[in-house]
Amino acid sequence: MEGSIYVGTLARYLLTLAMMSLLCLGVYGLLRLGRVREETAAGYALITPWLAGFLVFTAGPILASLGLSFTSYDLFTPPKWVGLENYRWLFSDILDFWPSVKLTLAYAFLSVPLGVAGSLLVALLLSMDIRGIGAFRTIYYLPAVLPEVSVALLWRWIFNSEAGLLNVVLRPLFRMVGLRNPDWFGDPKFVLPAFVIMSIWGIFGINMVVFLAAIKNVPRVLYEAAEIDGAGPLAKFWSVTFPQISPVVLLQVIMGIIGALQIFTVAMFARPTSAAGRFMNQLVYERGFLQLKMGEASAIAWVLFVIILALTLLVFRSSTAWVYYEAEVRK
Amino acid sequence: MSAQAEATLELAARARHRRRVRRAVVRTISYIVVIAGALVLLVPFFWMVSSSLKELKDVFAYPPVWLPIPPQWRNYLDAWRAVPFGRYLANTVFVTVLGMFAELTSCTLVAYGFARYSFPGRNVLFLILLSTMMLPYHVTLIPTYMIWRNLGLLDTFDPLVLPAWTAWGPFYVFLLRQFFLGVPRDLEEAARIDGANVLQTFAHVMLPQIKPAILAVAVFAFRGYWNNFLGPLIYLNSMGKYTLTLGMYLFMGGVNEAPQWHWLMAMSTVLALPMLVTFFLAQRYFIEGISLTGLKG
Repeated sequence: MEGSIYVGTLARYLLTLAMMSLLCLGVYGLLRLGRVREETAAGYALITPWLAGFLVFTAGPILASLGLSFTSYDLFTPPKWVGLENYRWLFSDILDFWPSVKLTLAYAFLSVPLGVAGSLLVALLLSMDIRGIGAFRTIYYLPAVLPEVSVALLWRWIFNSEAGLLNVVLRPLFRMVGLRNPDWFGDPKFVLPAFVIMSIWGIFGINMVVFLAAIKNVPRVLYEAAEIDGAGPLAKFWSVTFPQISPVVLLQVIMGIIGALQIFTVAMFARPTSAAGRFMNQLVYERGFLQLKMGEASAIAWVLFVIILALTLLVFRSSTAWVYYEAEVRK
Repeated sequence: MSAQAEATLELAARARHRRRVRRAVVRTISYIVVIAGALVLLVPFFWMVSSSLKELKDVFAYPPVWLPIPPQWRNYLDAWRAVPFGRYLANTVFVTVLGMFAELTSCTLVAYGFARYSFPGRNVLFLILLSTMMLPYHVTLIPTYMIWRNLGLLDTFDPLVLPAWTAWGPFYVFLLRQFFLGVPRDLEEAARIDGANVLQTFAHVMLPQIKPAILAVAVFAFRGYWNNFLGPLIYLNSMGKYTLTLGMYLFMGGVNEAPQWHWLMAMSTVLALPMLVTFFLAQRYFIEGISLTGLKG
């Protein structure tokens, strides 16, 4: 009985493997029958798993959710067409939609620049040739290794209004100004700073490792040339390091925006009260899976999708002004 | 030696000295900053572990108790038993192993296809694959949920692992493809001349060449499945099927319940432990993998 919850999944897991293999072989066979070159047929056969998954789990669902966003659907009765009804709160403030958009955007606008600049600074620091730096690097990777759930719970505990480490440390300060300890995740004024502070811990970790690798990749000759021209450390950073790693900065900014706007797990575990605020993905989950308003949830997800697309494009557009690609200059 | 030359020499010596002093100052400041950073980073972590070893009365003590003496190791046992975490661990391991294996297999094959075979539309398809990295997961969530619902597979582990056969992670495909591109073509030519077919060449010639990338992807995939929260939250209903993250969510209690912080911190530490161990074992691959993502900006 204990193991029975696994058997079904295991059987279907192997069945999926068999079906996927057959599909690949089928694609190969059909193409070969149609006298397609061997290499072309093998190529298509190899990417078939992804292509199938893309059609079934990505392309299809995106279009379906766009369609659903114009309907009212509770999973049990067929979807009813309601036109733009689900987008109505885009133009009003009756629901918690706009506060959520504001909170999500504000979080991205604060945490991404702080995070990118911070992790770049830390990476610069760790790229120096000082003794014992290797051990420090290992320590600095730590936040990248901890599971999101642990990190969120840990911070929720640190932010705890009674005994949280932060309030304990800040208590004398708050007393001095005659304030009570803030209720970080219960007060709309403090929820944004709390999440931003939490995200700053993430400047150590993955982003920093990427920057560190990029900095290490800058050719030494360029620094030597700059030194001969009498450049100080700051000048060297702005005229050598930054241009050289600017494509990585661009990538980090874009991935950062995408990640920040999609904040979910951390928010679910940090659990701000509903008075304090909701991130957009939390709204999608609550509307869709708790209140069974699949149409509204799809509409919110689509608004988020459009925001992400728009911001990504905007950053790409701006990048011509500040990102330097060696290949382009050579052209 | 003329007085002028002597003066010049002295000036040069003084400049050297100044430079040395400046370098020492910069170095000292760097150390201080690096150490301060490490402290900022370690204190929350230490607080987590220390809180997990406290008695309940010390958890809320003011001033805070930094070192719980004696450490309450039984917190771990109590927390573990408070909710069926043993079962959740088994479920998580099941999902993680199946998901990782399928993910690694399919992503490697797809990446090989993109790296080594030329076919019409390859570049466009690869661009599409990359662009799916930007897709918010929630936008496909509801229709995907409906697919599994129509298949009658809600409240099973299927939605969490079966899609892994479809090279689910665009980032992994990208990473593996980068590595495949770096393998010299002669190796395959030689294998092909020896009469090996596509799969044989792949398994015996290519795979050994990209071992570091496979290990990096394995570490990432492990992280992904181990930490997945949204999937289990939506697809698993019976408490017996929860994974560790979902179990933690349950364990955290309702909005109005006061959480048992010493237990929660104990479980947070337990959840983090396999990650920490893998990290220290596979640090090189982990960092190599991360580093590679940035280089192709």
